[in-house]
Formats: sequence, C-alpha cells, structure tokens
Amino acid sequence: MTSEVVVCLDKVSKRFSGHTAVNALDLVISRGSIYGLLGPNGAGKTTTIRMLMNIIGPDSGRVELFGSTQSGRAVTHRVGYLPEERGLYKKMKVVELLIFLAQIKGVEHAVAKAKALEWLDRLGLGDWSLKKVDDLSKGMQQKVQFISTLLHDPELVILDEPFAGLDPVNTQVMKDIVVELSRAGKTILFSTHIMEQAEKLCDSVCIIARGEKVVDGTLADVKREHGGRHLVVALESGSQSAASLFDDRRVVAKADDYGQYAELELVKGIDPQEILAELVKSGARITRFEIAEPTLNKIFIDLVGSRAAVAPTSV
Amino acid sequence: MATVMGPLLMAGMVLLPMLVVTNAGGEQNIVVVDASGSHFGERISQTLNEPIVPVTAALLEVAVADLNAVADSLARVVGETDLDGILLLTSETVNDGVGEYRGSNAASQTDMEILQRVLREAVLTERLRMVGVDPALVAEAQGSRVNLHTVTIRGGEATEQSGGATFALAYVMWFLLYMAILLYGVQVLGAVVEEKTTRIVEVLVSSLRPFELLAGKVLGVGAVGLFQLLIWAVAARLLLTQREQLMEWVGADASVTAGLTLPEIAVSTIVVFLVYFVLGFLLYAAIFAAVAATSNSEAEARQAQAPVTMLYAIPAVVSVMAMMTEPDGALFVALTMIPLSSPIAMPGRWVVSDVPPVELLGSVILLVAALALVTWVAGRIFRVGILMHGKRPNVKEVWRWIRAA
Repeated sequence: MTSEVVVCLDKVSKRFSGHTAVNALDLVISRGSIYGLLGPNGAGKTTTIRMLMNIIGPDSGRVELFGSTQSGRAVTHRVGYLPEERGLYKKMKVVELLIFLAQIKGVEHAVAKAKALEWLDRLGLGDWSLKKVDDLSKGMQQKVQFISTLLHDPELVILDEPFAGLDPVNTQVMKDIVVELSRAGKTILFSTHIMEQAEKLCDSVCIIARGEKVVDGTLADVKREHGGRHLVVALESGSQSAASLFDDRRVVAKADDYGQYAELELVKGIDPQEILAELVKSGARITRFEIAEPTLNKIFIDLVGSRAAVAPTSV
Repeated sequence: MATVMGPLLMAGMVLLPMLVVTNAGGEQNIVVVDASGSHFGERISQTLNEPIVPVTAALLEVAVADLNAVADSLARVVGETDLDGILLLTSETVNDGVGEYRGSNAASQTDMEILQRVLREAVLTERLRMVGVDPALVAEAQGSRVNLHTVTIRGGEATEQSGGATFALAYVMWFLLYMAILLYGVQVLGAVVEEKTTRIVEVLVSSLRPFELLAGKVLGVGAVGLFQLLIWAVAARLLLTQREQLMEWVGADASVTAGLTLPEIAVSTIVVFLVYFVLGFLLYAAIFAAVAATSNSEAEARQAQAPVTMLYAIPAVVSVMAMMTEPDGALFVALTMIPLSSPIAMPGRWVVSDVPPVELLGSVILLVAALALVTWVAGRIFRVGILMHGKRPNVKEVWRWIRAA
C-alpha cells in the first residue's frame, strides 16, 4: 500500500488586516509520520493549523484532508485537535465533559463513557472522573484535554504546543502516548517551537517563519543538507600535513585548529569521507573522526536567524 | 436555584408592601393650636380624637397675636417628647382652606393624608354650617360612597373582568417579560464569554459550525427560561388563589386583598405572551451573544452590554407608562409594532385593549424579520469574534467581520 497523503496544503495563504500570516505554503504529510511544524512565535503555525481544521478559511490555495477537499468539520471524527490555547468548561464533571467532547465528534454516549473512564484510569485520574474540572490541578486538566483529543480514536492527531506548561513527569507520559500512537499507525502533526522535543519525536519537519516555509523534508534530509558539514578530528601525529588540508579553503570553509584537535566546517558539497581519505593519505594517525550532526536548534537558528527574534503575538 | 428564589421573591414583593401599608403610621400625637376664634379647633380635635383615627389631639386656644410665639415654643418640644407636631388653625382656615402643620412626621404621607382628610371634611362642614346647612346632613352626605364598577369590553362584549384586574394582569405580564428576557439574555452573554475566556471554543469550533454553537446556546438557555417561567406561573397562581390564607399566616389584614378579583387569563393571552417571549428572547439573546463574542473578559462583557440593556429598558419602561395612561394612543401602538419593544409592549396591549388581528400579525412579522436579520449579523460577528483575543474591536473592525466570508 502506497504511503497515503493525509494532509496536503497547496499554496495556502492567509492575510489578517494587512499582515500576511501565511504566504503560499505547501505542505504534505504522509500517513503514519510524526510531522513537526516548527517555527518561532508568530510564524503562522497556529493559523496554518486552523486553516487545516477549517476553523478559518484560506484566502487562496487548497487544503486537502485524507485526499479530499472536504472541510475539516466534515471529517472531524477522524481528526483529534489539541489547540494551543485550550480550555475546559470549569463547572462540568470531568467524565461528562469528555463524553460531550466525544459526542461532538460522533462517538456514541455509551462508547464515549467507557473510553473516557479507561483513559482516565490510564493517566491516573480514575478517582477524579466525577469531580468538577475546577477541582483538578492544572496538570490534571491538561491530561484531561489530552484525553479529549484522543478519545474518538482519530487517524490524524494535531497537537499545537502540547507540552507547554507541563511538568516533566506529565511530559514523559504524553510523549509515551504520542510514540505509541505513531507505532499504531496514526499520523501526528506536532507544532512547537521547542526544537529539542521536535528533534526526538519527529521524522519529518517543516520550518516556517514569518508565514513562509524555510525548509521541509525528513529530519535526516534536513540535517544532512543543512548540517552534515561539521567534523571533529583528533590526531595523534601528522598534524603538519593535516594543517595544509585544513587551510585549503576549497574544501574546508572554517577550521578551529587546536593542533591535535580540530573542529572543521566543510565547504558545501564536500563529502566528509574525502577528508578522511585525504587525512589517511597524508599519513596522519587519526584517533577521532566524527561527523557532528548539528542540532535542529542550531539549524533553526541558522536558517531563521534574526527573523526568529522578531515575534509578534499570535492571533 | 433561581427557580426557587423566584417564587419566594415574588411572594415577598407582594406581601411585604402590604404589611407595611396596613401597619403604617402609628399613633400621631399633635397639638391643635386654634387661633380662629370660632372654636373650629374644637371640632377638629374631637374628630381627630375619635377611636378609628390614629391621632391623639390636644387643644390649645390662643389669640392670633400669640400664635407664632406659641407655635415656636411648642416646636422646640416636638421630638423631645411624644409630640409629633402642631396643627395651626386660623380664621383663614375655614374661609380659604389654609392651614399649617409643623411636625417631625410631616414627611409621612399616610400621617399627613389623615390630617388633610379630617381637615377637609371639617372645613367643608363648617362652611356649609355657616350658610345654614345642618351638620348632620353634611355628615350623611359625606358618608355615601361612590363605587364605580369597571368592566372591560373585549371583542365587542362586556367581559367578567374588572378594569383593575385587567390592568394588573397587563402589568404583571409586562414585568415578567421584562425581567425574563433580560435575565436570560444576560445568561447567554455570560455563557459565551466563559467559553471564550476558557478557550474551549477552539476545540468546539473544530467540530461544530460557530452558528450551531450560537444556536445551541441560545435555544438551551431559552428552554431553561421557559421552564422557569412555567414554574413561576404556577407559583403565582398559587399565591393569588391562596392569598387570603397567606395573609392570615403573615398576620396582615386579609380584607385588603379580598377586593382583588382573579383576572381571567384567556388561552389567546397565554399564546401571545409565549410567542412574544420566545421571539423577544431570541432577538436579544442573539444581540447579547454577539456582544459577548467581541469581549475578552466578564468585566468587558458587562460594560459592553450596558448600551444594549438601555436600548431594551427604555422602550420597555416607556411602553408600560404609555399603557397605563393611553393604551390606545399612537405612542403605545407604535411601540407594539417596533421589533425592539414589541415583545414587551404587545402582550400588555393585547390584554388591555382590542388589538386588530392585522396589527398583531404585522407586529409578529416585523419581529420575525428583525430576528432573522439580527441573528444573521450576530452569527457573523460571533463566528469571528469567538476566536479573536486582544483589544476590543472598534465598530469598523466589527463591520469588516460582518462582511468577511
């Protein structure tokens, strides 16, 4: 079975009173992937997601979910959405709230109730099912929100800054669930500006800034293209001959040379394996040769740079 | 909770004033200072001292020249002792009807009314006596009471309903409608703001069309409102039919209420009332929801709803005043046709006068049309507003929301 495209955005744009929030964005998410939509605050991530869900309509471009242009609301039962700004009815009982939210998604009352209780137990909230949402701590409420996103067993799960404000323990719990979902074949769209999380969880990413796509692709590709050029080399001997190699600006763009140890940034297009071959040929004895992968964080900052520092408050 | 409080409040509002009125005004202690020289004061103090009049009067006959001095000295005593006040009589009192009362209870309407009444009768008797009419005859003539029995004509026939009862019914209906539409309208306001501030609206909107959200909320609150009204209506009926029993329990004079006949409530009246309540509520609920959608907090919403409430209250109050004075007047008729005030004015008009079916139909049609328009506009404001956070939109921005696809 070919990898099915779950989400497709084709040149989607959105303007708000003079300010362009999203500019001709192309996005393709395949089934079963954990896709990271990354960008600084105000980049347009939430707007993009809202257009995906048909909460707001794009000014131009096409949005396709599950292969058709049916609006997000028509396929709502197949999608779970955890918005960035999230809340619950304070005076409602936890289990009733979960049932209500599931019912909006087309789940029957009895089924919803059973699943709600199951999830609550699983996340350690079993004793709180009949309490009012008010009575729960913030962390517990966030767990409830998370449950409401997953209760109807959606194929596509959209999480907008899901770990914001969560303590480490709960973050771990949620992360485990996300991974489990992915293994079960669900597609996950994960929006965040915390690169460390994205790096670990996502297999594909799209970095956007100021409403425009900066880069996208599988995580490996992105790293390779924008980063696989850093080398860490440690030599036992032969640093003289190595030095001439390090000075060759056709090959090595930047070198931080300590004598026995050097950090190199290669010129674009140069294969690190060539450097290794050259070093061996020059007779140096190599004790360490490492292709340092840059962190997603570094790639992000490099690509987005000063643009990331300017962050208008998001709508 | 309000369902229970409502009837209790109503009972209180009805019983308490009655209690106050019937037990009002304890004994007055006054001094009648008579400088008329014709023993006029004697007659007055005699009447005042009769058992059924709650006044104890002491008589002091003085010469005209001393009147002011005496009055001043007595004035100093007023308040320090049991003395409530002094009634000053001169020869002018009988001739020109001029008298003066100085006392600490001069502001009490009931007390003054008693004195005025007694004085008026005494002056009248005296004047007639001076032209030779026998005081006994005067007393008999004054004793006769005129009882005007009022009956409402409806549909060309005289009904069983007294004019007073008719008005009472209209007033009660006006009051109920006024309170109910406002109360439940504001509830819608609160509910929308809550959803907005807790941000749960984001999740809801991903699955529901905003209009569905709006409609559901309005209809839900409306249904609760209808239900509560029903309970209040039942409670009111109970209060009225059992009022004598209740008055006895409270220890008030049951005879005060005996005169109140229970107004006939025709089925058509109930239908008209319900139709206008529902339409009026839907109209204002939509407006309140739109207002709430532009607000970012409870406080902001409360501020924003003030102009709407005034828009609602002013025609309502004007209409009840017009109803009291001129039920057939152009102003009142107009108010029963204009959609903003017709929900509150028309049911009252239906009760107090004959409303031509054409006018009734016209009023309903106008109201429904207005309702459709307002709901459409409110829906568009709601749709954009519930997801917007930040400073309040000004009128231009709201206009843009309405025009946005």
